[in-house]
Amino acid sequence: MLKISKLNAKIDNKEILKNFSLNINPGEVHAIMGPNGSGKSTLSNILSGKKGYDVSGEVLFEEKDLFEFETEERAHKGIFLAFQYPLEIPGVNTNIFLKTSLNAVRKARGEKELDAIEFLKLVKKKSRELKFDEDKLNRQLNVGFSGGEKKKNEILQMSLLAPKLSILDETDSGLDIDALKIVADGVNALRDDKNSFLIITHYQRLLDYIKPDYVHVLMNGKIVKSGGAELALELEKKGYENFH
Amino acid sequence: MKEQLQKDFDNTIKNLSLSQKDIQVKKFYLDNFINRGFPNRREEDWKFSDLNQIIKKNIGELSFYSEYTSTNKIDTSVFVDGLEHNKIVFINGRIEKIDFDYEKKDQIEIVDQSESINELNINNSLSDLNNAFTNKSFKILVKKGYKLSKPLIIYHTTNSKIWSKNINLRLNFELAEDSSLRVIDLFNDTSEKNFLNIFYDFELKENAILKNYKVDKSENRNIKYLFNNIDQNKNSISETFIFSSGSNFFKSEINCNLKGEYSSAYVNGIFSLKDDKHHEIRTIINHLTENTISYQLIKSVLEDSSKAVYQGKIFVNSKAQKTDGYQLSNAILLHKDSEFNAKPELEIYADDVKCSHGSASGSLNEDSIFYLMSRGLNYHQSRELLINGFLLDVVEKITDSEIKNLIKNMIGIKE
Repeated sequence: MLKISKLNAKIDNKEILKNFSLNINPGEVHAIMGPNGSGKSTLSNILSGKKGYDVSGEVLFEEKDLFEFETEERAHKGIFLAFQYPLEIPGVNTNIFLKTSLNAVRKARGEKELDAIEFLKLVKKKSRELKFDEDKLNRQLNVGFSGGEKKKNEILQMSLLAPKLSILDETDSGLDIDALKIVADGVNALRDDKNSFLIITHYQRLLDYIKPDYVHVLMNGKIVKSGGAELALELEKKGYENFH
Repeated sequence: MKEQLQKDFDNTIKNLSLSQKDIQVKKFYLDNFINRGFPNRREEDWKFSDLNQIIKKNIGELSFYSEYTSTNKIDTSVFVDGLEHNKIVFINGRIEKIDFDYEKKDQIEIVDQSESINELNINNSLSDLNNAFTNKSFKILVKKGYKLSKPLIIYHTTNSKIWSKNINLRLNFELAEDSSLRVIDLFNDTSEKNFLNIFYDFELKENAILKNYKVDKSENRNIKYLFNNIDQNKNSISETFIFSSGSNFFKSEINCNLKGEYSSAYVNGIFSLKDDKHHEIRTIINHLTENTISYQLIKSVLEDSSKAVYQGKIFVNSKAQKTDGYQLSNAILLHKDSEFNAKPELEIYADDVKCSHGSASGSLNEDSIFYLMSRGLNYHQSRELLINGFLLDVVEKITDSEIKNLIKNMIGIKE
């Protein structure tokens, strides 16, 4: 599904990713763990199409060159990034945003756009599943939401947009244990033999709830070790220092 | 310009049946204007908007004489649909219609004040010009306790019959005790290169409520100056909303005197400008007694090389303890050549007051755009959503829900 080969990324002439390669097949869950500044967020930003990076190498998504596509086209094709810090957008009603987003994606995928009633039914059902406070749907997008509510809102969006590849950028940071479980349940509900996940995290904790197929350790812009779920436990015990 | 003014003045006077004394008074204002000319940047209030230069550049020579003897046909297509309303219709500066069909006739009085001059205490040559040339003017009196059931829409329409003309209008309003009035000023221009000079004077008696909404939406190359004086007595409320967008140049000036205790004034405005349009809102809120409130919120979205100016002054005299005064302006600059100028002024002579001001401007937040685009919205949709959201809270300040919805539709702001 996703083939990253020899990806290099610079910002302001500072090298962040160096010869980074990774393959994700349909249905797989990959976790990338690494210390601060190792390039985790840069990777997720580049995959979603954020501007401002000087990039070389190749990224194929379903055999197509990802760099050919604008940010919104990547969303249409099924790439979703759950933001580490979801933005607060004043004056934009959450419901209206969700409907605009969902219908933009559906339209691009050649599916029928949902009318107000169909949408409301769907969003209410999903909100209940994620224990996302329905009152928040009528509030301004993320404005005044707690950290946990913002992250749940990301998972709600993920669940609505039904992506093929979901990238979770430190979704666990700032979550209490209950919220963490809800978020994990949301992710697990989307798991099947077609959908893939790239989970970026500092800690092993989230991986107790979302069991990864592969764990990669990212340091200084490179994967220094890959393994199964057990690697996360090993990391937790030893710390990143032993991987230098 | 002097000869032109003299000649046009003589022609204007000929068509009016004025006493010698009234003519002398008008002549006095003409001479004042001739001496002072149009305001220019050397005057503090005009330092961001040099009207003299703006008229020279955009119009050139103005003529000041208008022939008001024949009626203009009213284009009813400009009338607002779906909202029952009273009407005043100005076409090319001539009053074509005053209609309070929805109201009790004995509760509203319309007084012809064409002979009188405007005695507003303002240091401004445009007031002189207005006094010298205003042709017909009325005072609308809302009687004690009467609340108009429908809003009044004032249609300011100009059409292609006029060119390079100065038009002067004046309306006075008196809202007696416990009365209320909603006024919507709608500007519809299909003319070009004219200068409209409009003066309103509102007097609000005890407990009176005035809501005034001004919408300059239609795209045109005219230059407009609109001066509002609002005198407020005890417990009265004034709410002003300005959507400043369509004209080539538009300066709205609000001069509000909070004379009675517990009176309050609200001014909310939006600049939505493109091309080389240049608009200004100038407010002076005078807190003249205890326990008065003023609140101002101005937001701008500026494209191309457009320019917006907000000069907001809060004056608190020594008697005006417990004043609560607030003003905030925010601007989004969408182009490197767009410009926002804010000059907040607080002049405070009382010691127990709460006054604050703030101003911020910047470009659209690229991270917010990225966030929205990552959810499948294209750049244009993301930008529109952010701008809509930015402006929405100004529109939400409109306290009349019927008019709020009307204005949202007119200016294309969605919830």
